[in-house]
Amino acid sequence: MRSSAQAKANPARATERLVAMLEFKSSAPLTLGVELELMLVNTRDYNLAPDADDLLRRATREAPGGELKPEITQSMVEINTSVHERYPELLAELHGTRDVIAGHARKMNVAIAGGGTHPFQKWSDRKIYPTERFLSVSEKYGFLAKQFTVFGQHVHIGCASADDAIYLNHALIPYLPHFIALAASSPFYQGVDTAFDSSRLSIVNAFPLSGTMPLVRSWQEFNRYYDRMLGLGIIASMKDFYWDIRPKPEYGTVEIRVCDTPLTVACAAQIAAFAQALARWLWETHTVEITPDLYLAHSHNRFQACRHGFAGTLVDAATGGTRTVGEDLRRVLDQLAPHARALGSDAAFVALRTTLEQGNHAGWLRNAFAETGTLTDVVRRQAALWAGT
Amino acid sequence: MTRVLPAITGYIVTGFLLGPGVLGWLSEPMLEQSRVLAEFSLGLIVFDLGRRLDLQWARHDRWLLPMGIAESVLSFAAMFALLHFIGGIDTLEAAVASTVGVATAPAVVLLVTNELKAEGPVTRRMLWHVALNNVLATVGITLLLPFIEARAAGASWNPAARALWLMAGSFLLGLIAFHLMTLFARWLGKSPVPQFVLAVGMVIATVGAAQAARLSVLLALLVLGACARNLDRDHRLIDVDFGRAAQVFFVVLFVLTGATLRVDQFGAIAWIGLAFVIARSLGKMLALYTLAWPAHISARQASTLGLALTPIAGLAIGMTQPIYDVAPEFGARLAAIVVSGVAILHVLGPVATRYALVRAGEGEPGARD
Repeated sequence: MRSSAQAKANPARATERLVAMLEFKSSAPLTLGVELELMLVNTRDYNLAPDADDLLRRATREAPGGELKPEITQSMVEINTSVHERYPELLAELHGTRDVIAGHARKMNVAIAGGGTHPFQKWSDRKIYPTERFLSVSEKYGFLAKQFTVFGQHVHIGCASADDAIYLNHALIPYLPHFIALAASSPFYQGVDTAFDSSRLSIVNAFPLSGTMPLVRSWQEFNRYYDRMLGLGIIASMKDFYWDIRPKPEYGTVEIRVCDTPLTVACAAQIAAFAQALARWLWETHTVEITPDLYLAHSHNRFQACRHGFAGTLVDAATGGTRTVGEDLRRVLDQLAPHARALGSDAAFVALRTTLEQGNHAGWLRNAFAETGTLTDVVRRQAALWAGT
Repeated sequence: MTRVLPAITGYIVTGFLLGPGVLGWLSEPMLEQSRVLAEFSLGLIVFDLGRRLDLQWARHDRWLLPMGIAESVLSFAAMFALLHFIGGIDTLEAAVASTVGVATAPAVVLLVTNELKAEGPVTRRMLWHVALNNVLATVGITLLLPFIEARAAGASWNPAARALWLMAGSFLLGLIAFHLMTLFARWLGKSPVPQFVLAVGMVIATVGAAQAARLSVLLALLVLGACARNLDRDHRLIDVDFGRAAQVFFVVLFVLTGATLRVDQFGAIAWIGLAFVIARSLGKMLALYTLAWPAHISARQASTLGLALTPIAGLAIGMTQPIYDVAPEFGARLAAIVVSGVAILHVLGPVATRYALVRAGEGEPGARD
């Protein structure tokens, strides 16, 4: 609000601020980075444990690359990898970071697990991590802040220019259901089977600035939109947009945000490799037209992927045809195969095909529940899978 | 007041006011009759405490066990030095009193933890330390008891052989109870209600069997709990939460504890009782501070942990009870040393634990619903 008042008082300063705040930092195209939000659980009943502070204090200096960060509540930590050009290096770093923090967690008698939601935690028991930003989010959003104890994977793709980022941001929209289905790992929430493969995205939907970027066609147009939102006092920074996919000007990337945190770091790296190959193909062909049609079926397709995973039905707004997410993913993987080879991601694509044939992590979690009969045992298995033990 | 004082303090004060010390509404015979209820409540708590003794944790954090042992040994040494070398108290009496003093009251820490819904590194470590110092104190008393008995009644038994039997027998009983429990659990499945009934039933059966065989009730229950935590490889037992369902028993336990207090215990607090309490805390604090750095614990965590370990209450009385039974005169002398310390800590202990957990940021005042 303060910045809006300043803008009105002094238009010249407003332009200065606009340029300063939304300069798109160019980065090497197709470079990769991953953010993973992870859950901390105790080893007694495997409920969430508020040990983020202690884990960060112990492990921050030892992470092999990237950084460890707190998240909105005390039972979450976030791994940010460093920037990579290729999938094998990304995977190696993720394995290294996992081993370091899993080792520290064992010494603290807690465990770390992947998964988009904790299956049975009660949101009202959560404690907000006391940083200025998280406290203000809590103040602003009330109970939504504590309900936001859900765990996502964000994939960053480096873009040479801001306009490239805008194009990619739009062009990836039809493929977001594929990402959702591949990463889906939140069938259980608040102690019940939600019947969704990814229940996490329904929680994100509750935020007023969730959804997708408006239909801007250039960085300049985006800046105009951004400045208006800023001027109206609706947002204070880019961080206030909880979009499915958004440009990240300070990193020079497009950030895909629809994925649940998979149960393994290997799966997280495979999904990043898929995004990289997809971006390479989209930029090389440059055939996607930025029209409202791109968004016509998005909400439906997104819901189908969340609810049914690979079995969800996709509607193609251009042709009116339908096919399942799984069928379409198979087609896309075939189409991207040469790009994956060029990027050194063959192994990732083999693994992605296996996931497609054998089922995603939502299925794995449901099987674990069917076999053990308690959600405590499900989280125990989840944590063992994540740690690779 | 609820933001400062734990509910336990209210129960103890209620018991104190209703008990023979003040109003006398709870008479001595009534208290005697209720002893079984208090013992049962304590049994549940000790079993729950045993379940906190996670040996896997000690395997991963190699400083955990040394720190726990150091905390117990240094506080024992401080209390023993005070009583024996400064207070001039006989070796065996000083050793017994100091051993009793090593244990932190599990009922107090578990109830304060539940009340605050506390969870986090300090709470987890606190419960581990309490479990370990209770095991060490219980083993210590079990080993010393035959020597007290021998001194009181003349040596009809070889005290060392009897000590060994008490240890081995109690251990075996806990182990057998555990195997029976997993056998039943296999049959009952993983539903919370049958498992709750199973846990309560096994605790009652173990208390009864230990009393019948004149074994250590506390040790058998600690072994049962520790086995449930460490040996249940197929995860047949679920982590039953006694907190809510057994709350009424815990209230009774503390009201009865309060009823055993007398005004004169506070009026005539001997310097030795106060010094005993201080020596105990200094020993614990010294160990925690010294080993904090290698154990990757912050100074703040070490100090809140030390403070949280302050209570010495129900179990101390539970421990002195067998001594009363076998050697009343020795028990009375012991009580003179320990009781005033216990009386002080009845009041201060729960407040200290509560303050420590809130200060550590792991418990929310007013969290209990």
